Amino acid sequence: MLIAVAVKVSSAVPPGRGPAFLDRITQNGLFVAFTAMLVSVPLFMPLAVGVVAGDTIAGEASLGTLRYLLVAPAGRVRLLLVKYAGAVAFCIVAPLTIGLVGAAIGAALFPVGPVTLLSGGVIQPAEAAVRIVLIAAYIAVSLAGLSAIGLFLSTMTVVPVGAMAATVVVSVVSEVLDQLAQLEWLHPWLFSHYWLGFGDMLRQPVLWDSFAANGLLQAGYVAVFGALAYGRFVTKDVLS
Amino acid sequence: MPAAAAPVVIAVGALTGSLPASAGDPLPAKTPAQVLELVGTHQVHSFSGTLEQVSELGLPELPAAGKTSAPASAGSAAAVIELLSGRHSARIYVDGKDNARVQVVDQLAERDVVRDGNDVWFYSSKDNTAEHLTLPAKTQDSMPSRDMQGTPGVPAPDDLAQQLLSKVDPTTAVTVGPDVVVAGRSAYNLVIEPRTDATLVGKVAIAVDGQTGMPLSVQVTARGADKPAFRSGFTAFSLDTPDQSLFSFTPPPGSTVKDVPVPDKSHEPADAPHPGPMANPDQLLPQLEAKAHLSVAGTGWETVVGTAAGASGSAAASLLADPLLAQAAVPVPGGRLLSTALVNVLVTDDGRMFAGMVPPEALQAAAAAAR
Repeated sequence: MLIAVAVKVSSAVPPGRGPAFLDRITQNGLFVAFTAMLVSVPLFMPLAVGVVAGDTIAGEASLGTLRYLLVAPAGRVRLLLVKYAGAVAFCIVAPLTIGLVGAAIGAALFPVGPVTLLSGGVIQPAEAAVRIVLIAAYIAVSLAGLSAIGLFLSTMTVVPVGAMAATVVVSVVSEVLDQLAQLEWLHPWLFSHYWLGFGDMLRQPVLWDSFAANGLLQAGYVAVFGALAYGRFVTKDVLS
Repeated sequence: MPAAAAPVVIAVGALTGSLPASAGDPLPAKTPAQVLELVGTHQVHSFSGTLEQVSELGLPELPAAGKTSAPASAGSAAAVIELLSGRHSARIYVDGKDNARVQVVDQLAERDVVRDGNDVWFYSSKDNTAEHLTLPAKTQDSMPSRDMQGTPGVPAPDDLAQQLLSKVDPTTAVTVGPDVVVAGRSAYNLVIEPRTDATLVGKVAIAVDGQTGMPLSVQVTARGADKPAFRSGFTAFSLDTPDQSLFSFTPPPGSTVKDVPVPDKSHEPADAPHPGPMANPDQLLPQLEAKAHLSVAGTGWETVVGTAAGASGSAAASLLADPLLAQAAVPVPGGRLLSTALVNVLVTDDGRMFAGMVPPEALQAAAAAAR
């Protein structure tokens, strides 16, 4: 609930500084949604996802409720899956909230009109709403890999703050590595590589390549770190 | 830990899955001349595709964050350098001679060139500006649609192949290598190797579509290097006629619209806003020659183009006036050298400029000889 409030507050303030779409906001309120999502992706989203995903297992462990959960005849795999589903649900809701709240606030404060795409074409507000949902879906997919990493790290420790911090650090490190031209061979393998590729949803026609590449990459991260988390959690001695 | 096996299996699967697939149906064997003929007679008028260009010329790389600072206005030296370095991808739509659209896809930005009959639009989403150009009716007929593809600075393989093939003469060995697969299509691999050691170019490989004869990719490898310094090729290619709505362009509300006067006829109309890329001295040559202030030394691959001191004042000065290029140019005996893997440019202390696909020593020798 705290995070939902934080999400609302962050987009309620029309972002003061920001690249790309900022200059269009005064002409068209719908750009608030695009700008808010753009600004939140590199730092705020990984932070929120890191908190949620890092808290999954380690949070229960630190509260001492993990063993009670495991006493119930549910099985560790099922617990892990439910916890991950919860984190993914957050990944879906968070960008949608930012987009919709951004659009609503933009519509309240500024005039709303046809939206100019990156290709120079113009679409009606109704179609723009579809694009906002598409972008939210893209960001949700983007964050799925990070959630899996957070879940794995969360099974490693009983201190939730440690897992949260580690998840955020991993995402920041990945983003920094993505900026170094000398490591270009590594870039397609970094889970943050396609994070800002959601601009492709704003082209005419929509460019689906990055969506597909992003989905494949995130699926790989989910598979690898999901399996690692499974391996760790199933064989772990739960002491708290 | 039995579960540890799962990630290993998945990792191995991911690695093997990403390996390039081998060639599909083998194409009938052809001699280099037959492949050239296939290129010469290709009749593809409508297609769409995604073009990717990667250059590792050795020019200083700009960090991705720095690119946003400079609006990529067409024509500035920095914009050309920016397009010639690093990795770029563009979507290309062509329908017949008169309709074409090129979208240079940047992160969260896009540069468009749209040609609809006689109207040509340039649009940059970064600064939300549109430039409009009306082509005179005459040049329209004489200008093949290919010229359009070269305009935004990402030269289409089609264009490049024609220029490179015109170089084929006794100085050059042309062979056909094993078939390659480009954008999912089987293609002949035309390999061109200079017969001389005095050029920086080691090998040029052109992939020619086995079905249509359209060049699909171009790779230029520097002498002694094992990876291409410049490659440009389609990653997706379709022969379907693109949607007509792509070719109409209306400047979006709020954008700055500028009318560009039509360049005079001695220039190539479509190429005028973007001076020929340095990688193509062939293209540069007629433009410079038109000004009649240049000297040419050497032949074939060893050609060195020089400008005289008086005339070149503008060219050399503008080259070094750009802060980016001024930093990249290193001082050498007799002037400053702008060195890349494939092309060297020497600006002498007295303001002359020499360029060629040759080692720096050859440029210095040419500069000394022309004195």
